[in-house]
Amino acid sequence: MRSDRHEKLHPHDDAVQRHGLIGKRIPLIDAQRKSTGQELYTDDLRPADCLVGKILRSPHSHAKIVSIDTRAAEAMPGVHAVLTGKEAPNSFGVLPVSQDETALAVDKVIFIGDGVAAVAADDEETALAALRLIRVEYEPLRAFLDFADSLEEVPEELRIHKKTVDGTNLHKQVRQEFGDVDGEFDRALWKKRMSFRFPGVQHAFTEPLITIAHYDADDRMTVWSAQQVPHYLHRALAKVLEMPMHKIRVIRKAVGGGFGGKSDPFPHEMVAALLSRKCRKPVRILFDREEVFYNNHGRHPSKIDVGLAIGKDKKVAALDIDALIDGGAWGSFGVVTTYYNGVLANGPYRVDNFRYRGRRIYSNRPASGAMRGHGAVNTRFAYEVLLDEAAFDLGLDPAQFRIDNALPAYTKTINEFRITTNGIVECIERACAMAGWKDKYGKMPFGRGIGIAGGFYISGSALPIHWDGIPQSTVHLKADFDGGITIHSLAAEIGQGSDTMLAQISADVLGVPIDQCRVYSDSTDTAPIDIGSYSSRVTFMAGNAVRRAAEEMRRLVIGGAADLTGYPPEVFVLEDAHAINATNREVRVPFVEALRRAMKDRGALQTTGCYSGPPPMGGQHKGAAAGLSPTYSFQAFVVELEVDLLTGKPKVHEVWAAHDCGRALNPLAVEAQIEGCVHMGLGQALCESFDYNKGNVENPNFLDYRMLSSTETPDIHAILVETYDPEGPFGAKECGEGPLLPALPAVANALHDAIGIRFYEMPITADKIWRALQKQKKAAAGSATQGAAK
Amino acid sequence: MTTASRSDSRRGDPARPDNRLLRLRVNGTVHSVAAPPHAILLDVLRDVLGLVGTKRGCDMGTCGCCNVLIDGRAVMSCLVLAHDAQGKDIQTIEGLAFDGPDMHPLSKAWAECGGSQCGFCTPGFIVTCHELLANEAAPSRTRIAEAISGNVCRCTGYKKILDAVELAAARIREAEPASAPAKSGGSK
Amino acid sequence: MILPPFELHQPTTVDEAIELATQLRKDGVAFDWMAGGTDVLPNYKNRLNARDHVIALGRVDELTSIGKNSIGALARIEDVARNSRVQSDWPTIAKAASLISSPPLRNLGTVGGNLLLDTRCYYFNQSEFWRDSKGYCLKADGDVCLVVPQKETCYATYSGDLAPILLVLDVELEFRGSNGARRVPLRSFFEYDGIRRFEKAPDELLVRVFVPSTDKALRTDYLKLRARDTIEYPVMGVAMGLRTKGGTVADLRVAVTGSEAVPLYYGDLGLGGATVDEATADAVQAALLDRITCYRNVPFPPGYRKAMGGEFGRKLFLDLSGKA
Ligand SMILES: Cc1cc2nc3c(=O)[nH]c(=O)nc-3n(C[C@H](O)[C@H](O)[C@H](O)COP(=O)(O)OP(=O)(O)OC[C@H]3O[C@@H](n4cnc5c(N)ncnc54)[C@H](O)[C@@H]3O)c2cc1C
Ligand code: SF4
Ligand code: FES
Ligand code: FES
Repeated sequence: MRSDRHEKLHPHDDAVQRHGLIGKRIPLIDAQRKSTGQELYTDDLRPADCLVGKILRSPHSHAKIVSIDTRAAEAMPGVHAVLTGKEAPNSFGVLPVSQDETALAVDKVIFIGDGVAAVAADDEETALAALRLIRVEYEPLRAFLDFADSLEEVPEELRIHKKTVDGTNLHKQVRQEFGDVDGEFDRALWKKRMSFRFPGVQHAFTEPLITIAHYDADDRMTVWSAQQVPHYLHRALAKVLEMPMHKIRVIRKAVGGGFGGKSDPFPHEMVAALLSRKCRKPVRILFDREEVFYNNHGRHPSKIDVGLAIGKDKKVAALDIDALIDGGAWGSFGVVTTYYNGVLANGPYRVDNFRYRGRRIYSNRPASGAMRGHGAVNTRFAYEVLLDEAAFDLGLDPAQFRIDNALPAYTKTINEFRITTNGIVECIERACAMAGWKDKYGKMPFGRGIGIAGGFYISGSALPIHWDGIPQSTVHLKADFDGGITIHSLAAEIGQGSDTMLAQISADVLGVPIDQCRVYSDSTDTAPIDIGSYSSRVTFMAGNAVRRAAEEMRRLVIGGAADLTGYPPEVFVLEDAHAINATNREVRVPFVEALRRAMKDRGALQTTGCYSGPPPMGGQHKGAAAGLSPTYSFQAFVVELEVDLLTGKPKVHEVWAAHDCGRALNPLAVEAQIEGCVHMGLGQALCESFDYNKGNVENPNFLDYRMLSSTETPDIHAILVETYDPEGPFGAKECGEGPLLPALPAVANALHDAIGIRFYEMPITADKIWRALQKQKKAAAGSATQGAAK
Repeated sequence: MTTASRSDSRRGDPARPDNRLLRLRVNGTVHSVAAPPHAILLDVLRDVLGLVGTKRGCDMGTCGCCNVLIDGRAVMSCLVLAHDAQGKDIQTIEGLAFDGPDMHPLSKAWAECGGSQCGFCTPGFIVTCHELLANEAAPSRTRIAEAISGNVCRCTGYKKILDAVELAAARIREAEPASAPAKSGGSK
Repeated sequence: MILPPFELHQPTTVDEAIELATQLRKDGVAFDWMAGGTDVLPNYKNRLNARDHVIALGRVDELTSIGKNSIGALARIEDVARNSRVQSDWPTIAKAASLISSPPLRNLGTVGGNLLLDTRCYYFNQSEFWRDSKGYCLKADGDVCLVVPQKETCYATYSGDLAPILLVLDVELEFRGSNGARRVPLRSFFEYDGIRRFEKAPDELLVRVFVPSTDKALRTDYLKLRARDTIEYPVMGVAMGLRTKGGTVADLRVAVTGSEAVPLYYGDLGLGGATVDEATADAVQAALLDRITCYRNVPFPPGYRKAMGGEFGRKLFLDLSGKA
């Protein structure tokens, strides 16, 4: 069933199957550079005469800047430039609707750690000493550190930003309603409303943020930065520096992890550039780990109320979500997050009556933004936990209950998402089969349990955030006399393997070994624009673009072979580094010869492929575009764990993680994404929490911001479900974010199976479990004595 | 004598008044460098000697990105004074990645198994695993997980890292008896 | 992150180290000893009570040895954990050592540094920027405690893993200083205060830990609570020694870390002579709950940490008496 659709759409796949790079386990093309320490990251660059840039940070949560005196710092020997916010007041931000950040604070500071002034000096000691000489006079304002506070109407000077809702510190409010939610709740067989709490969590990539900027003798600006989206940085720099984009070059060296945390343009990137322009020397700003935590835009701390109604047919009848999320100091991706917390609950199960209110506040804390599973993770937790409760209360098997509620393939959700292929049922079935679900669920001794949860995620946003008609991904291919294929793209390799994907698809289409392809994806000067590595879009969009560019290249090379041999182009396939006449396989022209022939009178071959977006789709309601994607990924996890009854400490033993990735172009890389997602999701479920002590981050370090260690990470079984998306390159969909979603609720559901207790607050740490167990014991003792009294 | 190209500080600058000369033996080569008494080994390796394979993740002993071998033992170079490392044998990823022209089995297996995604943690892990495999020829997966428990990887979920260390250990075991009369076929 | 500047001294012998310390003391110069540096350097990076002089002990090889009845102050934690003599004679020392932080940290850290480890607190183990924005506290640069608001005592948490079992084994510390050598029982060494922590002159160098021979029938164990299985400090740790005779408690020794500003030795909790049974295990738990106080300054809520102290005591008693 799956393949007919697929073959119709991709006539060349027969050939592809034969030389078979697609679907092969291919080590990432940069793997050996990394495993030998030869890969260069931004901080590994050593430009001559580079200065150290440091930022003076606000010790106040919210305060007016009365004055800044930088004279002493400027006079200090070894100091080359000092910068304050007033010198660069142009605002920027990742979304066109939330341009609310500046390089440094202009009139007021809005969180502890907000940048106030910056210096560039000969060395770190001098830079730090110079910061101490800067005198800033503040007038503290009331700090907003709580949802309730931010929802209050306040005078203008207490608003964190100019644009807020109804004179409060509410940043954004959205509503959607479909069907008859209240009616379904009235008629429900089972219903429950519950409030869920989530602290913030952080990307915690291992490479700290780092930027080097050089405004050179030609009045050109080069900015090397650890970025997932060089293009957005490029735009923001142009705006803040008031320079034409063509005079600015952004270079992305290897990036030490992103997960969404390096996808905004950041103030320090502006500061490095501004400082360099002031003193015309290269300036490096490398963050301490603590600064990374302040600057980072983690997952929103959230309070999410969810109501679930199950109808008499034991199907999901209505879903009612009210999400209140803490955006911290800046807008960032927050408008999108505000929508995603609701709209992405419309799969993988059919919901016909759906209501959503989403609200995002500003507060005087580090900003929140996009993190792996952007906007979908917390609501997913709440929804899947309630589904589990419903199944339990109704005496239904939670796995079968999910299957019975699954959306079909090729359908539309109530909010008009277009669903194409859908592997949710296969995901559930295969994960359960491998886990031995039927023999374990409800059958293990007290303290040991198994749980299941599903997930649903976008594969790139159908609509770009900048409406200028430029394709979302463009890839250039060049083939010259040496036979090497040079691939230019601005899709950012951040460890997920996008360079490998580009090379693999090119090599596959052109029938050459992968090491004949070289990827240059590092510079905005040479690469065509691509809106970068976020939103799980790269394989789908840049993959389609590179495929198209490679197919055009194939046409040209085959043309060369046809010229050389006199056979018509239609008979040729590219395989095995040759152009081969498929009707008479004796006729073989080496790839390089065909290529050189094609170059005759025209020079090196250059082709372009692009991907703009899917055909128009989606509803007419407000916010209909949010969450629209050309295709969606589906996933289901089964988690088995055990609770140490003495301490309450949970230990996850195994995770069976099934994910519909459309098609696994490179199973090694798909597994890697799934395993990484599981690790990160379990961390949020079990131990990660970005804690505050009033306005201060309590744990801005890797000791107290806890990620699961190697000894606590369970055995993860990645199960690849392939459904062959009709529009994805060779059928592929995303696999880098969706597989995080089921991890959290599967843990909570397994805990219920283990000890009969539900948890509604993240993270579920040993102390919380132990407390709940104590309460359970007391209650049991209480009812036992009551029973005895009767 | 090595001095910094003022890459990002004057740390290696002999003219700096608080700098003291020291000799560091790194990857078999003795370097004379200038660094102040409070210079951290990690900074000297990266900023003065240009050995940038050793990474800086946290600077506080909590991530293992900066691990190097000192006298054969994996330690966090962000918590070692450069002057305290004088007279010791320091090995960094640059010195461990290759055995002559051949990639070391750990680095090779790492690449094949998908032990790196972003790769920023990789040098530190590989350094740690060099110590492990020097002491134990066939560590179990549990034992490997313990040995790397001071190294943080945010990308991989550790599974493919365990795969890589197991594979490397197996290959090293296979190669060792091969120094006795070579079997035909060799490694598969 | 760069360190604050200091002058570094690198003696190669104990004598030389003492000479240096004596001289610095005479000159009225404040200094810190540094062994593995895994406590000193993070604190210095955070600008916590950094001094102008540091005497690094990394080259004093004579103090790294592990003998029949002693452990050199500069023995590396990992060497202690793996040492076969330690494993057979003092298995709980080996176990506690193996539970300290992570392998590369154990390769650096020393026994002496572990015992003399500075205390920990969320308001203290932070950068200068953080503390400046929050307000400095008593233990560094300020004059009021932010955990227990008052101006006299610091309640930062003692977080070393070796102290409890060493208290149980009743070890003695040998110091050398400008006034010669002295030996002091660990049980009377600590002094309740998160800043002073213990009775020791700044120029005194810890050279050895003497472990007295104990009755082979004394069984010991240590349980540690921490938020993750690795890297983390104990936020509660209980060591116990137990010898039973004829079904009664002949020798009971209990010590706790990760609770207050010093590790605490609780002796037999008043349970000497008690029958070895579940009721006594419950009594151990109750006695510990009576005695343990925790403050909200390290991971996990104080109530939970304290409860775990009780649970650990009970479990240890049952395990060691063979009643589990
Ligand atoms: C991330 C991290 C996690 C940690 N986890 C743990 C843990 O789980 N359990 C634990 O117990 N510890 C832990 N530690 C603390 C520390 O690493 C260990 O306790 C280690 O054993 C300290 O030894 P050191 O030699 O490195 O101490 P140093 O830093 O060298 O010294 C510590 C203190 O002792 C003094 N000192 C050292 N040696 C002597 C001597 N011979 N004479 C006089 N004074 C001396 C120093 O002046 C200093 O005040 C951790 C540290 C870090 C950074
Ligand atoms: S307990 Fe009080 S005085 Fe001690 S470190 Fe913490 S806040 Fe400071
Ligand atoms: S950088 Fe040294 S342990 Fe993190
Ligand atoms: S590969 Fe990215 S941190 Fe390990």
